[in-house]
Amino acid sequence: MLTFMATRLELVMQGHLHRLDPVLEPQEREWRLIYTSPRLRNWMETELAGLEATWNSEITPLQQLDALVNEFCSGCTLSFGHQFKPIKHVRGGIWELKTPDLRIFGWFHVKDCFIGYRAEHADYVKKHDLYYGLAGEAAHFRNQIDLNEPKFVPGDDPNAVVSNYS
Amino acid sequence: MPSFQITLSPSKRAAGRFVYRVRRALQKALAEEQERRGLNQSAVARAIGVHRSVVNRELRGGKDITLGRVAELAWALGRRAVLELPEESQASEGSTYRRFCFQTKLPPNVSQKAASFTLRKTSAAA
Repeated sequence: MLTFMATRLELVMQGHLHRLDPVLEPQEREWRLIYTSPRLRNWMETELAGLEATWNSEITPLQQLDALVNEFCSGCTLSFGHQFKPIKHVRGGIWELKTPDLRIFGWFHVKDCFIGYRAEHADYVKKHDLYYGLAGEAAHFRNQIDLNEPKFVPGDDPNAVVSNYS
Repeated sequence: MPSFQITLSPSKRAAGRFVYRVRRALQKALAEEQERRGLNQSAVARAIGVHRSVVNRELRGGKDITLGRVAELAWALGRRAVLELPEESQASEGSTYRRFCFQTKLPPNVSQKAASFTLRKTSAAA
């Protein structure tokens, strides 16, 4: 029996995934890609703007996410030493992209191509210890979506999922 | 391919990216100095007379960072903060505008940003 598995482009055309335009500056090039689930896109368009920064920071979660997306997609180095890194493996090939106030859970379909499933305020994730739960949700979405195999880059090596990690 | 964008005004976008890049430039400088001469957050904090947790929160984004503190941290790291405000043509509209932009040391395969901010080593800046 022949099983049809869709490409990312086909899933975008069908509305099962959405392509995030990082709004790069004229002199920047898109070295890494971000796709989102319909749920994550809806969150970005309806809830993100209403979130407040912890400590009443001058940079809102909305601005934080835009800056992270810009840094990620323009190919900048992501990790500085062991302390400062905006991506982290959670479990089972699910990674989180981090800003001071946000956690975005998803996976890498191929190197430098992140597919985000869901995001939450970091306080909410920490307070309820939701890291594994949200990673599990993302893995479930990954299992369900009709994406061509292999669906994700396995393992916890950041250099396997992004170029120019450190 | 159809796509969507994060909805944000140009001024707020510029502000968010500016602050983010300042913080990342400081993180990068600290990581470099830590590797080069073992400098850590505690030493940086002692040098400018604050508790280590303050420096940690400022570097991680858990606390706002003032321009003065940027200069203090740069000094403690043996750097000099340099801000430039170049005029830049906005390609999409063909108009000219001023904006802030930081420049961290970009990877070799990434195109250079037009505007710049640097944390120069003090000896090199002198």
